[in-house]
Amino acid sequence: MLTSPLFHHYALAPRTWDEMYDEEKVRFQYRNIFEFLQRIPPDELSKKEELAKKLFMSQGITFTVYSSGEGIEKIFPFDIIPRIITATEWNFIEKGIKQRLRALNLFLKDVYHHQFILKDGVVPVELVYSCPHYLREMQGFNIPHDIYVHIAGIDLIRDHDGTFYVLEDNLRTPSGVSYMIENREITKRIFPDLIPQNFVRPVTQYPNILYKNLLALSPRQVSAPTVVVLTPGIYNSAYFEHATLARLMGIELVEGRDLVVENHIVYMKTTAGLQQVDVIYRRVDDEYLDPLVFEPSSVLGVSGLLSAYRKGNVAIVNSIGNGVADDKATYVYVPEMIRYYLNEEPILKNVPTYQLSNEDEREHVLKNINQMVVKKTNESGGYGMLMGHAASDEEITAYQKQIIRNPRQFIAQPVISLSSAPCYINGKVQPRRVDLRPFALCGPTGIEIVAGGLTRVALKEGSLVVNSSQGGGSKDTWVLAK
Amino acid sequence: MLSRVADSLYWMARYMERTDSILRMLKINYASSQDNSEDFSWQPVLRIFGHLEQAEAAEMEPNSRKVIQYMVLDRENPNSVFTMVRRARENARGVQDNITTEVWQCLNGFYHVVHEERLTYLLQHEDPITVLDALIKECMLYFGVSETTMFRGEGLSFMNVGRYMERAIQTSDILDVKLSNLAYDLDKPTDTTYWKYLLMSISGYALYLKRYRSGFEARNIIDQVLFNVDFPRSVLYSLNQVQRHFQRLQSDQNTEGFSKVDFMIGKLRSKLQYSDVQSVSHTGLHHYLNSITTDISSIGNTLNHYYFAYS
Repeated sequence: MLTSPLFHHYALAPRTWDEMYDEEKVRFQYRNIFEFLQRIPPDELSKKEELAKKLFMSQGITFTVYSSGEGIEKIFPFDIIPRIITATEWNFIEKGIKQRLRALNLFLKDVYHHQFILKDGVVPVELVYSCPHYLREMQGFNIPHDIYVHIAGIDLIRDHDGTFYVLEDNLRTPSGVSYMIENREITKRIFPDLIPQNFVRPVTQYPNILYKNLLALSPRQVSAPTVVVLTPGIYNSAYFEHATLARLMGIELVEGRDLVVENHIVYMKTTAGLQQVDVIYRRVDDEYLDPLVFEPSSVLGVSGLLSAYRKGNVAIVNSIGNGVADDKATYVYVPEMIRYYLNEEPILKNVPTYQLSNEDEREHVLKNINQMVVKKTNESGGYGMLMGHAASDEEITAYQKQIIRNPRQFIAQPVISLSSAPCYINGKVQPRRVDLRPFALCGPTGIEIVAGGLTRVALKEGSLVVNSSQGGGSKDTWVLAK
Repeated sequence: MLSRVADSLYWMARYMERTDSILRMLKINYASSQDNSEDFSWQPVLRIFGHLEQAEAAEMEPNSRKVIQYMVLDRENPNSVFTMVRRARENARGVQDNITTEVWQCLNGFYHVVHEERLTYLLQHEDPITVLDALIKECMLYFGVSETTMFRGEGLSFMNVGRYMERAIQTSDILDVKLSNLAYDLDKPTDTTYWKYLLMSISGYALYLKRYRSGFEARNIIDQVLFNVDFPRSVLYSLNQVQRHFQRLQSDQNTEGFSKVDFMIGKLRSKLQYSDVQSVSHTGLHHYLNSITTDISSIGNTLNHYYFAYS
C-alpha cells in the first residue's frame, strides 16, 4: 500500500499493542481515517491542529495557572486524531465495568454496615482500618438506594496482546468527562463529515442521564427538586468542567459559601432568601466537605453538611467515604469482591499487584525494583510514583527507605507497556501510549455507560505516564456502532 | 437566583459599561489632544479615571501615547481596560451556567484580545484611534450579544441595573472632567471643538445639532448630558432605566429590600427630573455632580446589603 509521508515515522515499539496497526496491516476500525489521512495534504493537518487550539481558547475550555499573581490560560493538550474502539471491544468493556461497579457498590455498603467480607477474611481487616479514606462517620448509615458510587471513572489500559486491564478505579470525584464531550465537539468542527461516515456513537446524552439520576435521589417528594453542582471555585483546575456540567444540566453551580445548613437542612442563599437544596453533586473532596467533621480549616465546604446528609435531608453524590474502595491497596481485592458478592468470574482483569505490607511480596519487589512501578496507595494524578526502569540509583535508594518505613502506603506493579495509538505530533503521525477512562453512571434504575470516554495520551516519546500533571494530553474517543 | 450569581452579573455588566465608556472617552480625548487646543489637558482624565496623584498625572500628561498605554494596558491601574475586562471575565467565569454561551465566549474572546502582545506594539507605533475603535467594537459585540441572547429574567435585570448605574456615574464623571478644565465657569469662552468632542465621546453630537440648534453653549450641553430623556447616555435616562429594570425584580420575597432600594432610586430620579441647568449651576455644578455619584454609590451599597450579601 502506498503511504503518505505523514506515516513514514510511525515506529512501532516492541511488544506493544498498537490501536491502528496490526503488524503491517491497518486494523479495520482505523481504515477509514487512515485513508482520509492519506488523501489530506500534510500542512492541512497542522491547520486543523491550529484550529482546534483556537476553538479551545475561544470557548474558554481552559484552566488557569497562577504565577506571580497573574493567571495564564492553558489548554489541556489535545491530539487531533481520534482513538477508535470497535463495537466488540466496547461490549466487553461495558460488561466488565458494570460488573466491577456492582461489586464495588456492594463492597462499600458492606464495609460501612455488617462487614461480612471482613469477617469472612476475604479482605483483611487491617487494610480497611488503615485506609485514610475509610470514614468512621459513615458507619451504619443508610444511604439512598444503597448507591455509594453514582459516577465512576474506571481507567483501562491494554497490554501487548491487546488484553484490557483495569489500572485504577476512580470512585470519589473522577474528572475528565467534560473533555469527553468537548473533544467530540472539536472533532465535529475540524473533521467535517467524518463522524457520521464512521458510525460513531454519540456522547452528548451524558449530562441528561446524570441529571435524571440526580433528580431521582431527591429526598423530598416535590415536583422540581433543587439539584446543584458544588465546586471548590474558579481557582480549581477542573472548574471548567464543573461549570460545563452545571450548564449542560441547567442547574445551579454553587460554592461552599453559597450554602448554609440550618436545622439539618441545606439551603442556598438566593436573592429571594434561602432556598432548600435536595441533591448536591459535589466536586469537593471528602476532607474539605464539612469543617465541623473533617478538615476544620476548610473554607470550601459547608458546616453541618454531614449532619444534613445523615438525617436524610439531602443527597450527596458521590457518597462520602468511597476512598476506601478505590484505594490502591484495596484494588488488589476487587476480583475477589466480584467472586464474593456476585459469584461471577471477573470480566476485566486487574494488573498484577504486589502489596508491600506483605513480607514476601515486598522482598520480591525490592529485589526486582528495576522492572516495577511503585505507587503510593493514597495518591493520584501520577504523583509520588517510582518508575523502576527509568529512575536513578539515588531515587531508588530514597524510595526503598520510604517503603521500609511505611509499607502499607505502597503497592508495586510490573511495568505494563500500554497500547499505542496514532498521534499527530510535529507534522508527523507517530505512535504514543494511551489509556481509556469510560464514565459509568449508576442510578436507581441501573448502570449506564455512555459509549466513549476520555482517552489520555502520553505525548512525550516513550513515556508511559498519561496524567495531565505529567505532560499528558487527550483525544476524542470513538466507539463505533458497527 | 444565587446571591453570588446576582452579584457577579451586576459587576460583570458594570465593568463592561465602564470599559466602553472609558474607551470612548480616551478616543475623543486623544483626538482632542491632537488639536493643540489650550483648553485640553489629560490631567483630569488621569486623576479621575486613572486614580493618579497630581504629580504623577502631570508627569505623564504631555505624552498622549503614554496616557493611553496606561489607561488601556496598565496592569496596576484598576480602571485600565485590561484590568476591567479581566474582572468582567472573571465574574462571567464564575456564573457560566447563568449566562448564555455566546455571552461567555464573547467576554472570553475580549479577554484574549487584551492579552495579545501585539496590542502594546500597536498602541506604541500605530494609530491609537484604530486600536481604540477595535476595542470599542468588542464592547459593542458584548452589548449586542447579551441583549440578543440573554434570557429575560432576574439575571438580565441585575445586569441592566448595574449597567445603567455605571453609565450614570460615567456620564457625570466625564462631564465633571470637562467642566473642571473650565474651572466650572460656564461663561468662559471656549473653542467650539471643545464641546463638540465631549458630545462625540458620548455619542451625543448628532442629537445636539438637531435639538438645540444654537451653536455650542455650555448650558445646553449640560442640559442634554444630565436631563435629556431621549439621550441614551444622559444621567436622567440612565436612572430611568435603572428604575425600570429594578422594578422587574419585584416579587413576594425580599419585599423589605425591594422597597428600600426602589425608594432610593425613585428619590434620585426625581431629584434629576425636577432640576434644571439654572438651579443646578446656582448650587454649584461640581457639588451637584458629586451628589449624584454619591447617591448612586449608596444605592449600590443598599442593593448589596439586601440582594448580594452571601458570606
